[in-house]
Amino acid sequence: MNPFKKAAAILLAFGVIVGVGTTTANADVLQDIQSRGTLKVGMLVDFPPYGLMNEQNQPDGYDADVAKLLAKDMGIKLQLVPVTGPNRIPYLLSGQVDVLVASLGITPERAKSVEFSEPYAAITIAVYGNDNVNVAKPEDLAGKTIAVARASTQDTAVTKVAPPSATIRRFDSDAAALQALISGQVPLIGCSNVCYLTIQKLAAGKYNKKFELSSQVQGIAVKPGEQKLLARINQFIDKVKANGELDKINQKWLNEPMPAILKKK
Amino acid sequence: MIRQFGWNEFELLVFAARWTIILAIIAFVGGGIGGLIVALLRTSDSRVARIATIVFIRVFQGTPLLMQLFLAYFGMTIFGFNVNPLIAAMIALTAHASAYLAEIWRGCIEAVPRGQTEAATALGLHYFARMRYIVLPQAARIAVPPTVGFLVQLLKETSLTSIIGFVELTRQGQIITSVTFRPFLVFGIVAAIYFVMCWPLSLVAHRMERGLARATSR
Repeated sequence: MNPFKKAAAILLAFGVIVGVGTTTANADVLQDIQSRGTLKVGMLVDFPPYGLMNEQNQPDGYDADVAKLLAKDMGIKLQLVPVTGPNRIPYLLSGQVDVLVASLGITPERAKSVEFSEPYAAITIAVYGNDNVNVAKPEDLAGKTIAVARASTQDTAVTKVAPPSATIRRFDSDAAALQALISGQVPLIGCSNVCYLTIQKLAAGKYNKKFELSSQVQGIAVKPGEQKLLARINQFIDKVKANGELDKINQKWLNEPMPAILKKK
Repeated sequence: MIRQFGWNEFELLVFAARWTIILAIIAFVGGGIGGLIVALLRTSDSRVARIATIVFIRVFQGTPLLMQLFLAYFGMTIFGFNVNPLIAAMIALTAHASAYLAEIWRGCIEAVPRGQTEAATALGLHYFARMRYIVLPQAARIAVPPTVGFLVQLLKETSLTSIIGFVELTRQGQIITSVTFRPFLVFGIVAAIYFVMCWPLSLVAHRMERGLARATSR
């Protein structure tokens, strides 16, 4: 852990303790938002394609599009507030933002300090490979070679499902595993859908998705106890999942349909 | 998602440096005024003033600037004050710079021989005249190098304000790196821009030093 991260972690912990201690008795945030007429949304700007700064130096990406839809659905103006990984939860708990659409993965630890909506996005880990390689399920990996980043989520997942006759080539990073695939050293790779986007950029039309390994879902976060706001957000998410608008955002930023895991209730 | 690094990105970096400059000016001015007051109280004859300033200096030297910024912004909001980030940065940077400059300047004031103060007192000069015409001009000469050293460091430390939402030079560099995947180029330019801001400070310091040396040499 570098000193900055350490300091940020301490601060985060502090923010959470103080935040939780003082915010439970708070008034209704949904009411505040509606009387103010503006929804303040915290989002990351250094996590493409979910959150980024576009050429006009404005927040953009998957999260920004979801936030825009949310504000539109609530019939109020939107104010996007750029936050960072370490300070996003303090921003929410101290009330500087009303909600976080900040690629916040839903984990049990985080669920102790914030409340999550239904998932609105997912990072999927899957096996991708050459179009001419015939693999549709883990057993098909028998006798084949697959590249992964060492000690990553995908390494764990591939190692768990691959039959003993499969060769798993472990590289130091996603970038190196990707390089091995593109240069033809391996026919298959285990990586995330975001990494697959890069593969498509570098070598379009040569590779496709074989099967999914696991998914990390992300939720919109609100302060603990804001049940009315949370219900309103869940209503919005159900709506955009049903009417295809969330699918459009997936197509636009990730170049693939809305992942199946988001459809499940 | 990969974007080319072009003129547009370069301009964004240069433009982000305005926050670095604004924050540095706030810290220099606030810290200069605060530091002088604290340094004078710290060297005064009043026991209460000395103890109060020692506590202030210990607290702000002993805690990280990152924490001070965080508390000034998020902490005050939690207690019901709606501070904007600029006010929070102003408070934290001023307090931080005051504490350090006060200690630097205290050392310089105490380095002026005691006999100077005693001689001035013997001539019937009161406290302000003594400080204004006798002690501070002599202290200023030795104060220039450490003060400028601290200010240059402070200018770079303004990057910590990204924790409370400022997109200044370093933060803009991180954001641009995340879309261009050119860290060496981006941070190379960021370093060059910092250098362009810091170097003139050092030049001015050198000139001031020579000027002050001339003024006090016999």
